Amino acid sequence: MSESGFTVDIDQNQYLPEGGRTVSAVVTVTSADNMTLPGGPAAGVGGGPGSGSAEIIIVDCSGSMDVPQTKMASARAAVAAAVDVVRDGTAFAVVAGTSTSWPVYPTDGTMAIANQSTREAAKRAAAGLRASGGTAIGQWLRQACAIFETHPAELRHAILLTDGKNQHERPEQLNAAIARCEGLFSCDCRGVGTDWEVAELRRVSTALLGTVDIVPDPAGLAADFTTMMENAMGKQVADVALRVWTPQHAAIQFVKQVAPEVVDLTERRSQSGPQAGDYPTGAWAPGESRDYHLSVAVNPAGVGQEMLAARVSLVASSASGSEVLGQGLVRAVWTDDTELSTKINARVAHYTGQAEMADLIQDGLEARKQGDEETATAKLGRAVALAEESGNDDTARLLAKVVDVVDAATGTVRLKKAVADADEMALDTRSTKTVRVRKEQA
Amino acid sequence: MSERTRAETIAACPACGEPTGPGDAFCEKCGTELAPAVVSTGTPGFVPSCPVCSVDPSIPQPVAITADGYCESCGRKVPTGRDHTELDLGVLAGVTDRGIRHSRNEDAMALATAETPAGPVAIAVVCDGVSSSPRPDDASLAGAQAGVRVLLNSVRVGDGPRNASLAAVRTAAAELAGLAGPGGAPSATYVSLVVGPDPVPGAAADSGPATSPDPDVGTGPDPGSDAVTADSPATPASRPSSGAVTVCWLGDSRAYWLSAEGSRRLTTDDSLAQEMIAAGLADEAEAMASPQAHVITRWLGADIAEPQARITRFEPTGPGVVLACSDGLWNYLPEAAELAEHALPAAGTDPLRAARELVQFAIDAGGMDNITVVLVPFPLRSSVT
Repeated sequence: MSESGFTVDIDQNQYLPEGGRTVSAVVTVTSADNMTLPGGPAAGVGGGPGSGSAEIIIVDCSGSMDVPQTKMASARAAVAAAVDVVRDGTAFAVVAGTSTSWPVYPTDGTMAIANQSTREAAKRAAAGLRASGGTAIGQWLRQACAIFETHPAELRHAILLTDGKNQHERPEQLNAAIARCEGLFSCDCRGVGTDWEVAELRRVSTALLGTVDIVPDPAGLAADFTTMMENAMGKQVADVALRVWTPQHAAIQFVKQVAPEVVDLTERRSQSGPQAGDYPTGAWAPGESRDYHLSVAVNPAGVGQEMLAARVSLVASSASGSEVLGQGLVRAVWTDDTELSTKINARVAHYTGQAEMADLIQDGLEARKQGDEETATAKLGRAVALAEESGNDDTARLLAKVVDVVDAATGTVRLKKAVADADEMALDTRSTKTVRVRKEQA
Repeated sequence: MSERTRAETIAACPACGEPTGPGDAFCEKCGTELAPAVVSTGTPGFVPSCPVCSVDPSIPQPVAITADGYCESCGRKVPTGRDHTELDLGVLAGVTDRGIRHSRNEDAMALATAETPAGPVAIAVVCDGVSSSPRPDDASLAGAQAGVRVLLNSVRVGDGPRNASLAAVRTAAAELAGLAGPGGAPSATYVSLVVGPDPVPGAAADSGPATSPDPDVGTGPDPGSDAVTADSPATPASRPSSGAVTVCWLGDSRAYWLSAEGSRRLTTDDSLAQEMIAAGLADEAEAMASPQAHVITRWLGADIAEPQARITRFEPTGPGVVLACSDGLWNYLPEAAELAEHALPAAGTDPLRAARELVQFAIDAGGMDNITVVLVPFPLRSSVT
């Protein structure tokens, strides 16, 4: 483990056949259990992120939250549960959303500093939340943005809850609001019930480097909010980016996070030097490990030549500047030894399959919605085979609720006639979850 | 990128100008080492640069080279000073080259000469980094450097070649063990030559190692090899003192005796191919054609705690040339007779030129591996050139 508390490991087959140009690698970034970053967020009470972090809880208060009534009550309880987990010294706020949005606590649109009495006050304010009105998620995000900007914190995180579709603003308005928030805070999104749209919420969570999931039964909200807030409290380092240097005339084909879930970062590049670009990874807690899949097309050199196809640096940016936390080299060596150049790196292959599986599930479910059963059967069947082959049991179980599996190994399936909406949405939201393969097996 | 280091006739200390005697290892006045070992560390003062980008007018100059040797512009691994090195000490010479198909030179060599009361002694070490280990280029250089250092010091103080050779390989093994890290154990093959007369009894070493049986067990002789059991004192009265050849090795770098009157290989590979041959499972051609042929069974590295180096002593009865080489050469010319055909008679009078020609032969034959060739004409010529 390096001094910074981060390690960057590269797993690849560096050998290319004569004329070969595609270099693929799995980059594993791991933070130490005892990671601390000099110049990072000030440690608060209990060693947590303290005054360096800020949390906003955004609650849907649209009229549908009253159908059934337990939904709004569960949402209030979930806000209270999350507030209880906010550590002393952390800035926080609660926001309500309908077709407009307003601060619930503190009511002046700033952030409170968590302590016993502010937490109690926030819970009292949340207890008064009532359901009435429409849904305009872009408005909610803009409100959160304005509140975050009243407080200087390096680690900014929000939890967003909705039960419906974004009906009361145009899609472009939501997109503009998302763009406004990008890079300012991260956001975990939850849909309660089954009347919301997975693709819509995924757009928010992906852009804001958070998670998306379904909570089919409102009774599960409090536990889920507690877990999300606990995870947020564990974060220590904000704004970490993968900085990828590539040689002249090289082209990055993609940069994806592939574990714990698939997030395509390719389009998120911001140029950081003449031959380097930064890809955001968000905030990190101690003891985290994530995998990234990088693919670069290079100009081939001659047999026997070696090239640096990419230098991957982990960079933390803060008010005091940026710091390189770790580095790994992706190499290319051209050889006429076909035994070397045809060897498939097991981890690269594994994650190629996991990303394909996520795409197949999303495309298959979309085809099913459109009534194209043939395409749906083919895609979901192939996804079943990939889940089986890679040992992704969670995804295999979710798939089995949507299709009848005749033979998992060959991906022979039949679409179920009746599928619960919640099962379909759970499969959709969790299609991007991957399993890891240990390096020793590679 | 070539280096030619020619040992001058030592008449005065190069550092302080103090006159020196022919047998002096160090300047009596300032302590400068007078005939230090030379090692293929790379060309002195070599500045790495990208062969492509440094001549591209569209790229702002100078183009930076990263600490790990890549061009900051095009990413190419740029040549290092080790890609091709020539070392010439007059009485022996060596050439090492990257070859064609490998991206760097993971071979290393080290040469030295020592003036002893019995006469000049030539010393050489060739190491070939094991490609499947981490930093094989560092491993080979460390092995060659450590080996030659111990050999030179031991021979200077009058240790017999056998004890000197065993002490050297032990030190080289310890040196490589020290290179091991979380990434693994850098490893290399090893072959050393000590060519020349045995020490005059009692001349330098008071007693002990030079003439007593070697009690060491750590890096002892392999029972199966044709090792002698102890250094025997030279007996000038009964034999001309042109001396002997002592070879010590681990792995599949080889030594050969090349002579118009009959050539032979002096080493037996520590390799799976050799084990197949020894077990009668295959003949040499079959064994070398198998994909496992180059898997070595002994080497220098932390993953082998106490490598059992093998040692052999050969007393030539006439003139010839001793060759030490990595498999980058012998892959193309495995037979001693073939090597002799290519090397002789030039190797007997101009070992540097002959080494260059052998290296070029391997490159022309495909250059599949790094190539190192060291030649020692026997009997040793006077070190005066």
